[in-house]
Amino acid sequence: MWRWPIEYAGIAVQLFLLLRSAWARLLTRYYFFYTYIASGILGSAILMTMLLRTPALYAKGYWAVQFVTLVAGYGILLEIMNHVLAPYPGAERFARAAGVAAFCAIFLFALLAPFIKSQWAPVVVIEFERDLRSVQSLFICGLLGVIFYYGIPIGRNMKGMILGYGLYIVTSLMALAVRAYAGPSFSAVWKVVQPLSFDISLVIWLVALWSYCPNPEPDPNIPLEQDYEALASRTRGVIDIIRTYLRKAARA
Amino acid sequence: MIQLIFFLSIGGLLFASLFFLARRKPRPEGSSGALIEARQALMALQAGLLPAQLVKRIFAPEDWEFVRAEAPTAVRELFIDERKRVALLWVSQVRTQIHNLRRFHRGAARSYARLNPRSEMELAFSFAGLILACRMLQLVIYVGGPYAAPRLIGSMVDAASRACKISEQSLAFLNAAQLGVLNGRPTGSAAV
Repeated sequence: MWRWPIEYAGIAVQLFLLLRSAWARLLTRYYFFYTYIASGILGSAILMTMLLRTPALYAKGYWAVQFVTLVAGYGILLEIMNHVLAPYPGAERFARAAGVAAFCAIFLFALLAPFIKSQWAPVVVIEFERDLRSVQSLFICGLLGVIFYYGIPIGRNMKGMILGYGLYIVTSLMALAVRAYAGPSFSAVWKVVQPLSFDISLVIWLVALWSYCPNPEPDPNIPLEQDYEALASRTRGVIDIIRTYLRKAARA
Repeated sequence: MIQLIFFLSIGGLLFASLFFLARRKPRPEGSSGALIEARQALMALQAGLLPAQLVKRIFAPEDWEFVRAEAPTAVRELFIDERKRVALLWVSQVRTQIHNLRRFHRGAARSYARLNPRSEMELAFSFAGLILACRMLQLVIYVGGPYAAPRLIGSMVDAASRACKISEQSLAFLNAAQLGVLNGRPTGSAAV
């Protein structure tokens, strides 16, 4: 009963978000993000048409659209990396390493899972989407870890983009995990929870991306040493000395 | 069930990260402000917190021996309480300054295209270990009093002094003239 009003509201907010971005001249600045929003609108239009003309194909169409938007969602992650980390090549490199590690972790889990428990159900669409969502989750966690660790400042646009997308990913991942475990009995809840969380994310994006708010740039006047290794080795030297003395003290 | 717990844990981790992001306040990490803070941290450690005479005075056993021999119980208790408070405050200040130096390193490292993630991980764990050691020292003083770990304190002071010397080399490029520029005024022309 609630599903359709929630979905219609979502389409309306997506359209408004796109119109607002054109008005505020954000389309070209956040190209990947608005491609994702446009793909969502297009996907919804296709699904509505299918539902009206060929309802039998709706289920297949739903998953196809879901995967297209899921892949487009990786564009948001790319957008975030480009805007937040581009001025910090060191942190960007670290984030890329964290992203690869996250991907490897989930890939390894997927490889090992059948050996851990042989009676697990074969891979189905829901499980596949859940796995992809978990890769996205780990990637965002790694990205946020790097942002927190290096104290990288984030502007309102980027903060809203991360919060909105992250919230949607969390809800989707949890709903899909429970759906895969509980089976079709959870479908009724899942069909409401997922579009509702997307609507909440859309509202967050609408507020955060109302106008252009550039990400703070690093101070160009900061004098830096030429070589990272020199900085790292000096810091390592400081740590080694303190550690050696503490160890001696502990033994004494 | 294992699968469910695994994926819910990932979701929980992301939710916690988003929560911290939402509550995060902007800090001038790696900005000129952070560099000034790092310099001030170094100066505070060298001039204010680590001079051997100051530390010896805070943790001097002779003072305690004198008070124990000459003063009544109430004065002894007051003396121990106050020394403990001073000692805890001192360790807390040293820890804060180590934090500032760590922030300086991170603020500088993030801008290097040739950053080595492995080195950064090692350094992160090492700094965490040092801060943990400070915490342990605080715990020892809190539980056992200011005279519980004289050797540990002595070694820590020695180590921190050496650390300051090396950090000073790292920060040597931040000479007075550059700091003046970062502060927004030329050196030697402080407000009169």
